[in-house]
Amino acid sequence: MYSYLLNAAIVAYACATGLSFAYLVQRHEVTHRLASLATATGWTAHTLALVVAAVETGRPPLGTLSNAVSVAIWVVVLLAMIVERQSGLRVLGAFVMPVVLVLGLKATMAGPPTLAPALGNAWIWVHIALALIGIAAFVLNFAGALMYVLQERQIRAKRPGRFYYRLPPLETLDHLTYRTLAIGFPFLTTGLILGAVWARTSWGTMFAPDPLAFFSVVAWIIYAGTLAGRAAGGWHGRRAAYYAIVGFAALVLTLGAGLFLPGMHGA
Amino acid sequence: MPLFAAGLSHKNAPVALREQLALDSDKLREVLRDAVATGTVREAVVLSTCNRVEVYGVAEAAGAARSALFGALCRQRGIAPASVEPLLYTHEDEDAIRHAFRVASSLDSMMIGEPQILGQVKDAFAVAQSCETVGPALHTLFTQAFGVAKRVRSETEIARHAVSVSFAAVELAKKIFAGLSRRAVLLVGAGKMGELAAKHLVEQGAFPIYVVNRTWTRAQEMARALSGTAMPFDELPTALAAVDIVVTSTGAPAPIVTRDMVARVMDGRGARPLFFIDIAVPRDVERGVDSLEDVYCYDIDDLKQVVDSNIRERLREAQRAEALVEREVAKFKARLGDVEVIPTIVSLRERLEEISRGEVKKTLARLPDATPETRAAVEALAASIVNKVLHAPITKLRESSRAGSHRSWLEVVHELFGLGRRS
Repeated sequence: MYSYLLNAAIVAYACATGLSFAYLVQRHEVTHRLASLATATGWTAHTLALVVAAVETGRPPLGTLSNAVSVAIWVVVLLAMIVERQSGLRVLGAFVMPVVLVLGLKATMAGPPTLAPALGNAWIWVHIALALIGIAAFVLNFAGALMYVLQERQIRAKRPGRFYYRLPPLETLDHLTYRTLAIGFPFLTTGLILGAVWARTSWGTMFAPDPLAFFSVVAWIIYAGTLAGRAAGGWHGRRAAYYAIVGFAALVLTLGAGLFLPGMHGA
Repeated sequence: MPLFAAGLSHKNAPVALREQLALDSDKLREVLRDAVATGTVREAVVLSTCNRVEVYGVAEAAGAARSALFGALCRQRGIAPASVEPLLYTHEDEDAIRHAFRVASSLDSMMIGEPQILGQVKDAFAVAQSCETVGPALHTLFTQAFGVAKRVRSETEIARHAVSVSFAAVELAKKIFAGLSRRAVLLVGAGKMGELAAKHLVEQGAFPIYVVNRTWTRAQEMARALSGTAMPFDELPTALAAVDIVVTSTGAPAPIVTRDMVARVMDGRGARPLFFIDIAVPRDVERGVDSLEDVYCYDIDDLKQVVDSNIRERLREAQRAEALVEREVAKFKARLGDVEVIPTIVSLRERLEEISRGEVKKTLARLPDATPETRAAVEALAASIVNKVLHAPITKLRESSRAGSHRSWLEVVHELFGLGRRS
């Protein structure tokens, strides 16, 4: 039942991705409405899937990394819908939904849910949940940064193309990347600290040889640097956007490592 | 009675002739009243702008009505009708509807998407209404045209992107800043285009406005006109530091804003971008200024390039608008057809039911002993024959109205069933 609903959600997300791209190109009002509808439908199916999974296993649906990724994209879609409604950033879908789709396919690809043996402690759930909210915020951070880079390039080139007409002003995009960074970072940090503390109590070391942990620390360092640069060094605009993109690449490696490489987080 | 639209426009008539033919509204009223009073046309609206002079009307013979109306217009202006006649185009029925929709939606304008035409069409309609030359047909046509124009405006982007250099500059500013309200603007120099761009920025909420000029009195004048503050010319660097948008339009032979000057200013600004709109020729802002971080600079050629690309964008949107108009024309035609067909269907049914009632009465009078069942059966028989007979002609009329070929069918039905002359 879980995988059936999840697949339905992924199909809806795939439709939403296509429609969002179509909207970016043609700007038909109807296309945008359909894209929003597909997104909302997918999210509803996804919500049901997660509820079903929780009821069936009697635990939060975070038992395996693919479950956790599934929850992460659930949060991403929710955040994207909220941001879009609040700021009128209608093109956001075209930048967020592809990421959601790729992560969503990953979430369905992984095999049967085998529970990592360490998942007895309540703290571990908090560790996962916080890290996932952080990741969700960074997906939006990445989308904002990508839009900034594209829009800035068009304005500098002085040859307005499709993106110039479709994308919001630079200032709005810069604010979006700053806000999502400021929101995502504390979650990611607390998530990582809890993970490290938990690793020490159960494995006896904070630095277990785990690829996911390694890349997540790399991502954290990049984001910490960007946030420090923004807050104290006056970084903004293009430079901050590039770092946001690099940081997100590290996050993708983190999840990829967790899903495909052997380690403590379970492949 | 057929609809027609006839006239000349920027597409085929020279501007000199259009100017000659343009009438003030008093003369226009006279022409309209005469045309309807003499019976040349049943209804008429005259649209007279600097880009087109057109007559929309309802008349038995569109060609004759067109000649009469333009003859009257020419007489008013003392032009020989022969010089106008060869330039006139005439659209009838469906083409007239399409033309009205396209004109009101500004798809037939010289600059596609320009906003004035809709107001001009509304004015022309109001003038005709005040002369009582608007009947049901033109009333439906024009109210529908206004609706179509509104839809085109809101559902496509034909009017969205600026086609003038000064508006294009304002739009660019809006792609850099999130809204222009409370953005400080510096106007350098006293060029007309610079002033226009500054005015547009003020309309968008930009504030405060600073003006710098080599001539102090001119600076003060401009500052007054824009409700801004004049500053001495040598305080240009100070002013640069305080503002978000700079509009330059001096006649200076060499750049007055140098890269070094801007680099120093940018040091203390934090994350605030600085946008130069350089409308001066030769340029006022040194080449290379916009290689600095957070500095954007568009000169007149760049802005023209943006305008060109905006026009291309409008033309792309115009294709969508044309499709929308086409759908609306089809809808309108069907509605118009129904409007014409329904009275005939009603009178046809009344006619047959009247016959049926008479015959039933006669028959029943000859059957005094009939049981209630028999009477009911006779009535049912009559009603059923009426319905069977009506079925084919009604279906045909409805079909023909949808296909737009109902007029000849209406004649036939009136003749065959003796429904009297159609109005």
